[in-house]
Amino acid sequence: MIAIELTRQVRRARGWVTLAVMAGLALVVASVIALTRPTVPERLGDWGSVVTNTTGFTAPLIVVNALLLFFFPLAVAIFAGEPVAAEAEWGSLRYLLARPVARWRVLASKTAVAAIFSVAAIVVAVVASMALGLAAYGYRPLTVLDLQHTTPFHVAAATFSAPAALAGLGLTVAFVAATLASTFAFSLFLSTITIRPFSAVAGGVGLSLFSRALDNVPGLHALSGWLPVTDAGTTAWTGFFTVPAQVGAVGHALVVQGVYAAVLLGAAFLWFTRADVLA
Amino acid sequence: MIGVEWTKQWKRPRTLVTLGVLVGFTVVLTIALAATGPSHTERVGDIPLLIVPARSGFSVPVIALASTMKFFLPLAVAVLAGECVAGEASSGALRYALARSVSRSRYLLAKLVVALALAGTAVVIVSLSSVAVGALAFGWHPLTAIDGSASSVVHVVATRFGPGAALARLGVGTAYVAAGMTSVFAFAFLLSTLTTRPFVAVAGGVGLTIVSRVLNADYLPGVAVLNPYMPNNDVDLWQHFFQNPVQTDGMVHFLVLQIVYVAVFLSAAWWSFLRRDILT
Repeated sequence: MIAIELTRQVRRARGWVTLAVMAGLALVVASVIALTRPTVPERLGDWGSVVTNTTGFTAPLIVVNALLLFFFPLAVAIFAGEPVAAEAEWGSLRYLLARPVARWRVLASKTAVAAIFSVAAIVVAVVASMALGLAAYGYRPLTVLDLQHTTPFHVAAATFSAPAALAGLGLTVAFVAATLASTFAFSLFLSTITIRPFSAVAGGVGLSLFSRALDNVPGLHALSGWLPVTDAGTTAWTGFFTVPAQVGAVGHALVVQGVYAAVLLGAAFLWFTRADVLA
Repeated sequence: MIGVEWTKQWKRPRTLVTLGVLVGFTVVLTIALAATGPSHTERVGDIPLLIVPARSGFSVPVIALASTMKFFLPLAVAVLAGECVAGEASSGALRYALARSVSRSRYLLAKLVVALALAGTAVVIVSLSSVAVGALAFGWHPLTAIDGSASSVVHVVATRFGPGAALARLGVGTAYVAAGMTSVFAFAFLLSTLTTRPFVAVAGGVGLTIVSRVLNADYLPGVAVLNPYMPNNDVDLWQHFFQNPVQTDGMVHFLVLQIVYVAVFLSAAWWSFLRRDILT
């Protein structure tokens, strides 16, 4: 089932276009930094800071930081919001379900393939910018200034060997993918209840925007820890690039994502296995 | 025409729910601020302004405007603007509305005036209800705003605004935010004349503010060239009205930019609506 769905999606242009746009954006951001600000330190997240263009690893870090605000959620919402709603829109969903295959298996295979593409969107952006970075600046150790602990008298900086930086980048990709789980699950849920892919995609992006807007309301700080998409949650990966690594926020963010993803995916499966499919 | 449209829109649950949610937001915000304790300081905006909410009711409108102007107000404005024509089209009533002996231009003008008034109401109601709720919760006291950009550990730059002065500056600030919403409004209105699905028009209007914010040098390096021309980035400049002296840099530029965007979007809306083959 998963293989069939994968073949179907791989043949569609939409997935390739989305991935190409992500890679293109990553390359544009990486080249702009390389061309215009060769030695300016770029800020990452809340506290980390990278000195640009001393190593090939700075470009992917800056790209992740730049794209996770809007473009990653958009790509994930496209991949998760489209598969079921698009079948409904074409009118092929009922024929798909007429096969002697349980509905939950249909949805599970679509979910799995959408997840593969979503992760691919992040990986493509990181790999493209890292390739450019490595070609331009080489496989060198990465130095990260820790602004949180830097004072006028003491510069807190950590240097990571190239393999360690690569490992940190791998963890970052995994964590960023995990923070998008709530957006993914919400789009997938919307995809099962609407017959319009646009609504499912816009709803998924809307969730992340709405959550960030609530996160930034002064006075509602108490709420921030429990929203699906927050500034602190999505930038917690910068903790991988401090010494010692600060992983407290990472754990909390993963738990919150797990809860949202479980509830929303549960709702999607519950709805889809019972829905009266007319399209 | 305008009177008919005005009564009709006020009877729609969508209008009342949108405005009700905004009022509800200010109430929840006030409760949350009251719950955080009497000496808690809030940082508002990029300047930042440092305000102790519990000392003055006027802190609530400042915080409410600052926290709604980037997403909730554009959303409300896009709902009110995006639905007005597309809502008729999606319910299949548009062609009957146009079958009356009223020119399309007049019909669209009535839609525009009413939607604009409702969108203006949405902005004003945030300020009004938060002044009211804030005064109830924290009293009709002068507002003290510390200018975070000019202050240091040893020297605090604070300005005290009496109730009258605070109200006046709030009024001007609200008008500025309302003016800043017009580009979003006009774009959602344009989409509303083009699509038969209100959701698309609303999402497009919100999308304009998001694109405007994402194409920002803070997030995407290298797009700084575009920043002065983005329709919605400088909507937060009203916070400078609470500095002393007021720094008005960029405000006129922003307002002129709004006029240009509005002119372009509205002429496109007129151009398409007068010519389009209305099927629903």
